[in-house]
Amino acid sequence: MPAAIETTSLTRRFGDFTAVDQVNLTVEAGQFFGFLGPNGAGKSTTIKMLTGLLAPTSGTIRVLGADLTQNSAELKRQIGVVPEGMALFGRLTASEYLRFVGRMYGLDKATTEQRTAELLDFMNLAGEDKKLVTDFSHGMQKKLALAAAVIHGPRVLFLDEPFEGVDAIAAGTLKSMLQRMIARGVTIFLTSHVLEIVERLCTHIGIIHRGQLVAQGSIDQLRAGVARHGDGTAPLTLEQIFLEIVGGGDQALTPPEQELSWLS
Amino acid sequence: MAQLNEPPVAAYDIPASTQLLAIAWMRWRMFANGFRRQANSGKVAGLVLTIVLRILLWPILAMWVIGPAFGAGFMAWAAVSRHHPERLAPLLGGIAIGWQFVAVNGVSIAATMSTFDPASLLRYPLRFGRYLVLRLLLGLLTPSTMIGFGALFGTAVGIAIANLSLAPAAVVVLAVYALLNLFFSRMIAVWMERWLATRRAREIFGGLLALFFIGLQVFNMRTHGHRHSDTSDWLVNFAQASNHVLDFLPPGFASHSITVTAHPLSSLLQFAALLACTAVIFAAFAYRLHKQFLGEYLAEGAPRSTVAAKRPAPAIERHLDRAQHAESPHAGFALPPTIAACLRKEWVYLRGNTNQLIAMITPLAFVFIFSRGILAHHPQYLLPGAVGYAVLGLMATLYNVFGADGAGVQLYLLAPVRLRDVVLAKNIASMSLLLVEATLAWTVAAVLATAPIPLVAQLSAASWILFILFTNLTVGTLRSIQAPSKISIAQTRRMRPAPASKTSGLIVLAIVFGSVLLQVPVTFLCRYFNNPWLAVWIFAPLAAAAIAAYAVLLQQAEQLILTYRDRIAQELCGD
Repeated sequence: MPAAIETTSLTRRFGDFTAVDQVNLTVEAGQFFGFLGPNGAGKSTTIKMLTGLLAPTSGTIRVLGADLTQNSAELKRQIGVVPEGMALFGRLTASEYLRFVGRMYGLDKATTEQRTAELLDFMNLAGEDKKLVTDFSHGMQKKLALAAAVIHGPRVLFLDEPFEGVDAIAAGTLKSMLQRMIARGVTIFLTSHVLEIVERLCTHIGIIHRGQLVAQGSIDQLRAGVARHGDGTAPLTLEQIFLEIVGGGDQALTPPEQELSWLS
Repeated sequence: MAQLNEPPVAAYDIPASTQLLAIAWMRWRMFANGFRRQANSGKVAGLVLTIVLRILLWPILAMWVIGPAFGAGFMAWAAVSRHHPERLAPLLGGIAIGWQFVAVNGVSIAATMSTFDPASLLRYPLRFGRYLVLRLLLGLLTPSTMIGFGALFGTAVGIAIANLSLAPAAVVVLAVYALLNLFFSRMIAVWMERWLATRRAREIFGGLLALFFIGLQVFNMRTHGHRHSDTSDWLVNFAQASNHVLDFLPPGFASHSITVTAHPLSSLLQFAALLACTAVIFAAFAYRLHKQFLGEYLAEGAPRSTVAAKRPAPAIERHLDRAQHAESPHAGFALPPTIAACLRKEWVYLRGNTNQLIAMITPLAFVFIFSRGILAHHPQYLLPGAVGYAVLGLMATLYNVFGADGAGVQLYLLAPVRLRDVVLAKNIASMSLLLVEATLAWTVAAVLATAPIPLVAQLSAASWILFILFTNLTVGTLRSIQAPSKISIAQTRRMRPAPASKTSGLIVLAIVFGSVLLQVPVTFLCRYFNNPWLAVWIFAPLAAAAIAAYAVLLQQAEQLILTYRDRIAQELCGD
């Protein structure tokens, strides 16, 4: 079975700035993959390239075994995306938006209607049918973006900060939905700054730092790699692993505290 | 959910009709919801006004299409019936230039009313061919296309009336010529988007465009300065000279394809050249669009999210250090710290905004040109004309003082500052620009006037300008608080008016132009009563009243902002 996502020497430059540098990433089918990195590390740029929204400067991307550039339209049917900024159409209602997305992904009218109703109900948005998306709260917009990302039953789901701004109840519902999708064989590629969520949901982790993939593997594999440098008395949390890999000796991530001594 | 053992590439395609109809339906819903939103939010008056304005607007827009169509039809008829087929090429060239001019300048009502970016469709499973068709279809109702198609339709009708035997060729050739122009305008748009991706490039382009308009104005004044027959002769000579050039361009190919009926082979060759040009332009359009389809990133530098954060601590330290210095009683500014800090920030914004500087220079250039004309002999009219015209172009800066702050406006609401001071600082910044502009225009008028400007004219102009500035400052400040509109500094080319600004925009225009044009009846009254001091007696009290109104508003600014803070946050802090 081919890997769900596979990149080879994936690189993206913006002028002189290299946002993503020679990234070789492999996400096996059915994995819940967490993609981590500090602010500005290249996470969103990578997701944009993996979903066909941004062209790589060099390197290749294969999704479900097929080249993304050569099979863009076919592969877009197989993936769902919650992009950075969500990219919703603010002047539609939630049901209008989901109907539009369903039709764009080739669902027939009856299926679109049925899934729209189910998703709105599932996301607790069913009572907001007269409200335009632009008038939704941030959390409601996030839930709608997630609903739109799954309406066509994608085989690979890309989520850029899906839990940001979502309340705890909705977050719990979404997590269980994502875990059910994983159980059905869907691959999920997720970025989040909330490491506890990633640790609880994801089976595999990739860490990008300054555009380079600095670690990749299961949490246990990463833990084992880092533990060699630790004291080995207690299992490391993902946060400790992350800081060890990315933050160690990096002044940009560990500002000297004495410079803000006036705060207390 | 789909199972993983399915083939990755779908065995069947999504029907084009499904996606195209979905997009058409989505556009319709967005249009309809635009009305519904106003009605739901209680802006019934605004909704009615919008509908009335649109009803009134359509006949005016229709005249923009019908007028050129009739004009082109008549000229085509005259050229063919009077056996001057060589005049068809300049006519077609003129239509092409007009078409592209309207398209490039974006004088597009449809575009300003739309909040839809076709590139947002790229994340859906669209094939490139469909995206290409969509990009062509989505702009068909823009004024440039409608005016161009109308003029070419009129040309075809004019040719057919003059010589029915030319009708079939005219219809086919002009249809191809219309497509060529359509592709060309789209090609220019997508390439300009590529070339003008950086702010600096856009600003340079804006400067060149301003120079072009100034040049056009100079040319206009020069031709109107001569006798009418001179102008006509010049135009005839220009048309004749341009024919030689047009012979090798699409207007010439199209014209000869229609009119060289005596030599079918030559006519076919000309038509083939026209088709070849159309194909090349279409290919250039499709090539650039394909790059966009594949995910080309155009803006300058890296996206915000990818720019790594620099080491923050020393910067914070320096910033705090400066802030402490600003609060020091020994700092250079004698103004209160809040006003001084806001003014410094406005200055930083202005310094990096070349567009604003161009907006200041362009009216002065026009003032310079006007001042050298007939007005130079009438300094009592020259002075108010020059100063009024110069400040008119900058008046918009008074009407949306928080627009450029975007989400940063929250700082004013959160910080322990008097909001009145923030408003005052912003008003001082805007008024300084206007006063500098007025002073420069005043100087130009005074230098170029052939006689000294009478004292009474200067007093009248001064009180009039004060009246204009403070009237618009008062209304503008009120509007800035009640109906702010986010201004994207990085992407001014995609800047859209806020929903609230559409309905009340005409009222604002009425206030701006009304206050400026008040000079006309007052001048008339002065002449009628033969008393130039009358203008001073009228404008001085009006100016005093406007200043008083502003003072009252300033006192209320704090409460007003707090009352409208939800709307301010909603409009400025959203995506």
